[in-house]
Amino acid sequence: MREKSVLSGYRILCAGLLAMTLSLTAATGLSETPLRTLQAAPGDDQDQLRGEASASQAPMPRSQLSTLLSSPIDAGFAKADQPRTFRFPEDHGPHPQFRNEWWYLTGNLDSDAGDRFGFELTIFRFALTPATPQSLSAWRSNQLYIAHFAITDAVRQQFYVAERYSRGALGLAGAQSAPFRVWIDDWQIAARQDAARQTDTSSDSRELWQLRARDEHFSLDLSLSAEKAPVLNGVDGLSQKSAAAGNASYYYSITRWQTGGQLRIGARHYNVSGLSWLDREWSSSALGDEQQGWDWFALQLTDGSELMLYNLRRTDGSRDSHSAGTWIGADGRSQHLTAEQFSIDVNRHWTSPAGGTYPAGWHIRVPRQQLSLRIAPVIDGQELFTTVRYWEGAVDVTGSRGGIGVAGRGYVELTGYAE
Amino acid sequence: MSALLRANIGFLLRHPWQLALSLLGVGIGVAVIVAIDLANASAKQSFLLSMDAISGAATHQLIGGPAGIDEQFYVTLRVEHGLQGIAPVVEGSVSVGEHELQVLGIDPLAERQLRDFTHQVDAVATSGANRNLFRDLLSVPGAVLMSASTANLLQLQPGDHFELLAGGRRFPAHLLGTFKADSAAGLDNLISTDIATAQEWLQRPGRLSRIDVRLDPDDPATLQQLQQWLPADTRLLSAAGRTRSTAEMSAAFMINLHAMSLLALLVGVFLIYNAVSFSVLQRRPLIGVLRALGVTRGQILALILAEATIIGLLATVCGLFAGAWLGEQLLQLVTRSINDFYYRVAVTEVAIQVSTLAKGAAAGFGATLLAALLPALEAASYPPRLTLARSTLEQQARRLVPLLAAGGVGAMLAAGAVVLLSQRSLGAGIAAVLLLVLGFALCIPLLVQRSSALLAPLAARLGGVWARLALAGIGANLSRTGVATVALAVAVSASVGVSVMVHSFRGSVDRWLLQTLQADIYLGVRGGGLAPQLIEEIAGLDAVEAISSSRRVRLETERGQLQIQVLDMAPGSYAGTVLLDADPAAVWADFEQQDMLLVSEPFAWRQQLAAGDRLRLPTAAGEMAFRVAATYQSYRVDAGTVLMSRATYSRHFDDPLIDSIGLYLRANSDPQLITEKLQAISGGRQQLLINSNQAIRTQSLQVFDRTFIITDILYWLALGVAVIGIFSALLALQLERAREFGVLRALGMTPAQLGRMISLQSASIGLLAGLAALPLGLVMAYVLIEVINRRAFGWHIQFSLAPQLLLSALALALLAALLAGLYPAWRAARSQPATAMREE
Amino acid sequence: MTSTFANSIRLRNLTREFREGQRLRRVLDHISADIAAGESVAIRGRSGSGKSTLLNLVGAIDAADNGEICVAGMELSGLPERQRTLFRRRHIGFVYQAFNLLPTLNVGDNIRLVLELNGVAARSANLRVKELLAAVGLADRASSLPDQLSGGEQQRVAIARALSHRPAVLLADEPTGNLDDDSAKIVLELLQSLRQTTGTTLLIATHSERISSFCDRALELEQGRLRPVASSEPASP
Repeated sequence: MREKSVLSGYRILCAGLLAMTLSLTAATGLSETPLRTLQAAPGDDQDQLRGEASASQAPMPRSQLSTLLSSPIDAGFAKADQPRTFRFPEDHGPHPQFRNEWWYLTGNLDSDAGDRFGFELTIFRFALTPATPQSLSAWRSNQLYIAHFAITDAVRQQFYVAERYSRGALGLAGAQSAPFRVWIDDWQIAARQDAARQTDTSSDSRELWQLRARDEHFSLDLSLSAEKAPVLNGVDGLSQKSAAAGNASYYYSITRWQTGGQLRIGARHYNVSGLSWLDREWSSSALGDEQQGWDWFALQLTDGSELMLYNLRRTDGSRDSHSAGTWIGADGRSQHLTAEQFSIDVNRHWTSPAGGTYPAGWHIRVPRQQLSLRIAPVIDGQELFTTVRYWEGAVDVTGSRGGIGVAGRGYVELTGYAE
Repeated sequence: MSALLRANIGFLLRHPWQLALSLLGVGIGVAVIVAIDLANASAKQSFLLSMDAISGAATHQLIGGPAGIDEQFYVTLRVEHGLQGIAPVVEGSVSVGEHELQVLGIDPLAERQLRDFTHQVDAVATSGANRNLFRDLLSVPGAVLMSASTANLLQLQPGDHFELLAGGRRFPAHLLGTFKADSAAGLDNLISTDIATAQEWLQRPGRLSRIDVRLDPDDPATLQQLQQWLPADTRLLSAAGRTRSTAEMSAAFMINLHAMSLLALLVGVFLIYNAVSFSVLQRRPLIGVLRALGVTRGQILALILAEATIIGLLATVCGLFAGAWLGEQLLQLVTRSINDFYYRVAVTEVAIQVSTLAKGAAAGFGATLLAALLPALEAASYPPRLTLARSTLEQQARRLVPLLAAGGVGAMLAAGAVVLLSQRSLGAGIAAVLLLVLGFALCIPLLVQRSSALLAPLAARLGGVWARLALAGIGANLSRTGVATVALAVAVSASVGVSVMVHSFRGSVDRWLLQTLQADIYLGVRGGGLAPQLIEEIAGLDAVEAISSSRRVRLETERGQLQIQVLDMAPGSYAGTVLLDADPAAVWADFEQQDMLLVSEPFAWRQQLAAGDRLRLPTAAGEMAFRVAATYQSYRVDAGTVLMSRATYSRHFDDPLIDSIGLYLRANSDPQLITEKLQAISGGRQQLLINSNQAIRTQSLQVFDRTFIITDILYWLALGVAVIGIFSALLALQLERAREFGVLRALGMTPAQLGRMISLQSASIGLLAGLAALPLGLVMAYVLIEVINRRAFGWHIQFSLAPQLLLSALALALLAALLAGLYPAWRAARSQPATAMREE
Repeated sequence: MTSTFANSIRLRNLTREFREGQRLRRVLDHISADIAAGESVAIRGRSGSGKSTLLNLVGAIDAADNGEICVAGMELSGLPERQRTLFRRRHIGFVYQAFNLLPTLNVGDNIRLVLELNGVAARSANLRVKELLAAVGLADRASSLPDQLSGGEQQRVAIARALSHRPAVLLADEPTGNLDDDSAKIVLELLQSLRQTTGTTLLIATHSERISSFCDRALELEQGRLRPVASSEPASP
């Protein structure tokens, strides 16, 4: 008895706060993001925190969502309800007047010795309130940052994940556009210091970035050089997510980065190189009531083209008509794909040891581009047991385009599957 | 059940009074021991618990200078050095109504990394409507969480808005939710809030109180690295060590309480012995018959010990329960004293520890058996006869008396030796007090015997033969009266000792307060600094001739946590600090210019410091040695206090805050008028605490008096035990002497005369006990002042004696004995003369 | 203080009952007797025949249920407790089988206590104590404690104490029961001689034939009734 109460005191405080985090993440519209699994109801039990169990990761608790969406606080946020002009590098920086925003960097890497790796570093930003608070305390902030960092070791069939939280204050975490930098603690994605010089000498202003993330057991230091200019998804960057007006986000990607650097896992160090993909999205809205989750594909093909698709799944199992995609040619020109313009068939499933069955093999067809691709995860177990539970992992692509064989690699995100 | 046991149990049941007294005696003894131990242990436990709760899984803490740690250092640690497992804390005190609370500002996001939070998530009760506690905690200024019991105390419900006072300023607060009672141990009197809110309330922008650190014990490299990153004035301390050093502050206080409980035990043991031996002696005829019937000595011994065991068991169980209850009552007093003097501790539950119960049980049980052993051995030695001359028994006692006295003198000499041989040990000092009491107690039977022999003829001359009968009865029945007298004498001497000590102490404190409080009016704010502009305006008032200022800060040093009082003295201030070991003129001349310190007497004692020594303090530029210029008189009990001039402080520390100022008024100015003016000036800006020096003196003495309430209560308990002792002794005598009383009645003594005789006897016992208690009490007071207090706190107290204390002790002893003798006298008076004739 | 009444003790239809469990036991059943002042009378009877009860009634320690009892001219029936105590203090002396000296008082004080209770001035009390101790042959033991004396000596002190205030009636309950024959003889002779000098009426409860022969006459208590016994008659078994 005694022991228990000695231990419990402060833990409870923290556990309580974590529960609130859940409600927060659920409430603040994370759901609209790929992270649709952020659906834990507040007060769900701790198992959910560890992600082991199977408590209801069912769709967004609607009651809460609607409460929040109708709350007066919501009114102050900017809305993605009309096309806008994107400016770079300004738009690489934060848009704090919107409720949520993220920097999503994924990639496939090979070591000198030929070992295959995948990585994901995602930094989320959430605004707790529309207005920026005034205070003599520098800690007072309405900006909250969460980051997920994952490494896939295909050869050893290992998957590593770390998660960070911080408030966007005092320089603990934040985002800025000039020079570009988004960070949480010592994890960051930033424009390289030599980037400015290079821009001067280079004819086009392609981005030169670096990524640095260290966890106790694994770390990643990468230099990234954009091969292509930003691509605006949806209609000129306005990505409609449901029929409701304003239920949309601003969404752009830089789909091909030459990447090189160092990876450490435990005591092993690797020189790695490969390709990366950046997804950038911000909005203030959430999924429609009837939407269950999504399957997102970011595929880089050997012929220099890329394909981004997302399938929005409805609660009744059907495909939402707002599913969409973008095809980017080797020359950097892009083409918006509507739901009718592509199909995704699942040909394999994988059941998580913690419960929940995910699709684990796909056949994608984009008739207009004469694309037929088969997608397979490099390993099945790329599920993130972070505050919310979802699958995000490196995949291999084989298939043909216009009858000619192509291959490729990419990243797939699956949300809304763990019960 | 054997017929033998049944015979005895039957006897006990036919004498319910006796049984009740035995049970009561043992029970009270056990209860007092358990209660004190419980109160102490609970206070300590809940302190450790709250320290635990507050430091969580942190293995270390980073502590900065007086102004705390620059928050940018925390950012550097995280962002530049990539250090994880650290969490910032901003803490301070605020008040809600008349309740003072600790506010704990945390970063919930960082906490997540530091503590093990995979625990009950549903521990937060919220006001249903608002489920976004987390967002509110971060984004709503004034949003707080607290334990349900704290919310109860403040009469708040989740969702309520309330107002709190921090640093003299009012802030709105909003209770978001409460922690469930069973999971919030250690979080009482604590308001948890976001670090931003805490900084706003405590007006501490940019500063952290500390940084909690969780380091892997298997990773000394990180620890070493962290050490190198630290700014000059920041120290890395182990969390456990810091908790310990804070807890140690009150060690002396706790030891003193334990000493009091030992005293109660001593008196309790007398009582137990009295009760058990009485019940055995009264059964002499029964035992004689049993022996005659062929029951062996061993069987008699076993029988009586078995009975004592049963009584001991029953009484101990009752005593444990009573002790738990009593402990709860005492706990509030103990807690209040600790809060007054040492650190903030909120105790909501009594921590019943096995060790406490074991101690109580061992005392009750052990004392019962020990107390029963002597009478049991004696009973076993009865010849197999139907009766035994009472005189034989008394002869045995009489033979024992000189031996006891010799042992007593030995014990007192030993007490003296212990004091002389141990220089600083508080434990040894207390052992000496107990030895002294024990030794003196052993001499009391001899004193009683001699004085009753001396007084009996005198009484006969004054009052007649019946008076002689009364007095002679005391000496003649020493086996009964001796123990009762000892119990009363010990209780009363404790009263004399403690009250003389307290009286002396209070006198010294009062003189010190008079001396120290030189300014006319003091003003400050609770938990924060005075706004500089306000100070300027006040200093500029016409009636104000000069002001002095003070700031108290705690520093973590090589010698543990110490408090520095930073003084900016007015010309009139110097007289307020009495220097004990240096020439004031010389010291004050350089006080501002040189890097010197003054150390308080208790601190000097504890740290074995003297003028000329050096003390290292962590300044803004790193550790620096300061010269100790003198020791000054102080009766504050906080951790070590060190005086430093504001000028010196400003040279070495980056902290311009001022907690309080003293106003020296021009002659003829009206303090009342000034006070009103001050209130007008500060109104709406900072709520000031304005006190005249007289008010502070009164308040201080009130706190002083409150501290000694516990002492008073313990004393009354010991006295209660003693009264019961006398009561049972007299009752025993009365029962044993039933025949004698019958004869007296037959000879024509009226009931009133008989009652008067018994009362005279009681009063004489009381008087003897009181007289014996006086010298013992005075010696005890001397030892308490010169040895115990000195060793515990380092204070020099001037011995002062108030005659009325001695007289009232004497009167008390007399009254107690008379009171205890009422019922036995009444019973004796009712004795029937006819019974005497029918004796076989 | 010598009684001047012809009849020192007058009993009429004296009845005393004790409750023993469920039933009443009549210990004394309508007893009537007259004992003259200065007379010595032995009350004989078996154990439990009511001898002590009778002495307790005469000594005003106990009160009768019925009948009249007049001792030294005082009607005792219906007298309240306090009056009985005062009567006892002044007019009655007791000698017990177990001596019953007060162990914490020395021999002199044991005697002095009774005088004091009767309000005798200290000075004359001292003289009286000396006189009595001399009379019982213990002049040199005034400051001894009772347990330093032999049984016979203790009983002599008890006799001195019982007669110290010159009572009208001396009640003795088996005064020699705890003594050997020699001591018993000394005690009995002392009793008689001292009594005769003060003219005190003596009532001795005993089952001993030898003692009754010391008395002027003997009465037999049997089944609650009192009947005279010829002094020559052998003691009942």
